[in-house]
Amino acid sequence: MAKTVIPFGPQHPVLPEPIQLKLVMEDEKVVEALPAIGYVHRGLEKMAELKDFNQTVYIVERVCGICSFMHSMAYVRGIEDIMNIQIPERAEFLRVIWAEIGRLQSHFLWLGLLADAFGFESLFMETWKYREKILDLMEMTTGNRVIISANRVGGTTKDITPDQTKIILDTVDTLEMQMKDVEKVFFDNYTVKQRLVGVGILTTQDAVEYAVVGPMMRASGIKYDLRATGYSAYKHLDFEPVVETAGDSYARCVVRVKEIYQSFDLIRQAISKLPAGDIAVPVKGFPKGEAISRLEQPRGEAIYYVKANGTKNLERLKIRTPTFANIPSLLKMLPGSKLQDVPILVLTIDPCISCTER
Amino acid sequence: MLENLVVVDKEDIREVVNNKKLYGNRFVAVTCEKEGEYYELLYHFDNNYELSHIKILIKPDDVIKSISSIYPSALLIENEYKDLYGFEFEGLLIDYKGNLFLADKSPKTPMLDKNTQ
Repeated sequence: MAKTVIPFGPQHPVLPEPIQLKLVMEDEKVVEALPAIGYVHRGLEKMAELKDFNQTVYIVERVCGICSFMHSMAYVRGIEDIMNIQIPERAEFLRVIWAEIGRLQSHFLWLGLLADAFGFESLFMETWKYREKILDLMEMTTGNRVIISANRVGGTTKDITPDQTKIILDTVDTLEMQMKDVEKVFFDNYTVKQRLVGVGILTTQDAVEYAVVGPMMRASGIKYDLRATGYSAYKHLDFEPVVETAGDSYARCVVRVKEIYQSFDLIRQAISKLPAGDIAVPVKGFPKGEAISRLEQPRGEAIYYVKANGTKNLERLKIRTPTFANIPSLLKMLPGSKLQDVPILVLTIDPCISCTER
Repeated sequence: MLENLVVVDKEDIREVVNNKKLYGNRFVAVTCEKEGEYYELLYHFDNNYELSHIKILIKPDDVIKSISSIYPSALLIENEYKDLYGFEFEGLLIDYKGNLFLADKSPKTPMLDKNTQ
């Protein structure tokens, strides 16, 4: 049969960011796929070498518009490790609260995009309506809706007041109730299941081979979530990674939906245990040494390598984002799939291209 | 100083990484940084939440053995270093020929210290 090459993207209705897939097709079947990126590379790692290590907090926040808070959290944790800074306990809990709020808005965003990808517009709008409530919480606590600039080396720049914690808890309670209705659609709706069940299976072996991370990994039966290591204030919270075993697009959806409930729970736990006290300690001098900082972002493990030489500038900052780890799995999932499933499969890795390219 | 770090000869990298895989390690990332007149490539692996690292030292015109045939997920980072530093990798699973991130008219090897060329 004759082969046809179809360029999928970089501008495509289903893609919020530019990535191109060169799809080699036999009729409606994908026989080969080559991902191509490079549309939004900004050289942020190089820029970080030219700025003061404190200014770099604001650079890494812009690695990604969705995981912004967690990028700065990973970075400041690396610097704090090098400088042997013990931040106040309250700051650790505040970081966890904002991290989980960030995870919620990211997972709601993804659910909406997925619904949009298979043409379920009302589900898309419903999901994003809930996301707005989460963004409102970010605005209320920090003044910003996405890039919240709440981290600094030595703690946090902002605090959460008792009145605000009450609003956060009320919002979480309301969203949890509303989520039950949405969950039924994602889990049980005939059309949704037709588009997701058995589509793009990544076995446990494939997941190891292609080194996927985050919900991609956990949906393939691997119980791995860095929050289980107890970094930051997670060591004070009850936590068990969400794991599914089917390895298909449906399993990846189920993991993310369940992680939304998990984030509700973690926020409640963190607020109930939020200690009084300072939110930051003074930081003097410049960092000298190297450290690796890892944490679990909504899309999976992010890793920061930081090397400093005792001056105000860093010697090296290396960032490995979750999407960078997950893109190669498309080489496994796409061949053999139907053209109609390509948008779903691309979305199930929850691609963040600005993250990937930095 | 990183814990669980071993330094190996660049010629042995594929064999050492293959052993890592046999022992159930997950490939995490590769970091590149300048070390005197050399560049060091730090390969990071995870096993049950514990990181380990393999370091090789290279010069900019060395040909490095690609590990993408062992861990396909390494193909992006190896192509990234081909773009940004100009390193050559032998046996790359997919070779973007210096155009993973950079366009034809972009500055060449922007992360390479020009004094080492």
